[in-house]
Amino acid sequence: MRTKFSTYILAIAALGTTLTAQAHDPKEHMKDAEAPNCASMHNMEHGKMDMDDPIMVAMMQQCMDEMHGDKSQATEEAEKEMAESESMHEHSEHHH
Amino acid sequence: MPHLKDYIKSLVLTAAILLIAGGIFIYSGLYPIGADVPHTRLTYWLLETMRERSIANASQSIDIPQDLNTSARLLGGGADYNDMCAGCHLKPGKSESDFSIGLNPTPPNLTESKHVGDDVAIRRQFWIIKHGIKASGMPAWGPTHSDQRIWNMVAFLQRLPELTETQYQILTARKSTSHSNSH
Repeated sequence: MRTKFSTYILAIAALGTTLTAQAHDPKEHMKDAEAPNCASMHNMEHGKMDMDDPIMVAMMQQCMDEMHGDKSQATEEAEKEMAESESMHEHSEHHH
Repeated sequence: MPHLKDYIKSLVLTAAILLIAGGIFIYSGLYPIGADVPHTRLTYWLLETMRERSIANASQSIDIPQDLNTSARLLGGGADYNDMCAGCHLKPGKSESDFSIGLNPTPPNLTESKHVGDDVAIRRQFWIIKHGIKASGMPAWGPTHSDQRIWNMVAFLQRLPELTETQYQILTARKSTSHSNSH
């Protein structure tokens, strides 16, 4: 009986400890998380940025996905434009 | 010329009277304990002196990590600061909040550069975040946060005064691939 009671106490204490440890898990904050406003980085003067400064490195890391996204989108658009102009060029060559 | 025995007797009597008077004052409930009434100068002095001496004594042997000024620590600490501290200790572009106005003593504005600098200040910040301060509204984050996570917050605090609103927003945004190091 006494062992059973002690087991209950231990189980409740362990559960309490686990819940406390989870209380401030970063994942708990994810539901209210705000995305980094990386668009504002475009307005910064790139010449004045110190790329070795941990603040700048951290900002680049935060915005890496978006910047890569922009880059690939820009690349895709450029490739599309190039392909269109090439096809038009070929078309006009055939005409001549 | 008063005798030494008489002198000790009157000293003990005075101490006893002061103790009794102090006890009566405490139990009378006359001290205004509401946070909207400022402490007296004497109370402020007593509390602040005791706080600063206690923190200086307890934090003097804390080892500071060598890699405090790194991007990973800034990102880990930034998100936690924004979630847990900015409400009271403010952020760039904000000079007051409901908490900073309502708490007594007023929480320090950590976006000001006077709170950063030397090793003593760094140890002090770590100790306060980890252990909190009694009856001040500052909780102890140590029971629920690892030392590494607290050091990340200290790292962020060291750079906080130089951040613009834009930089602060980007650094404190908690992405799904968060850099929080809960080691």
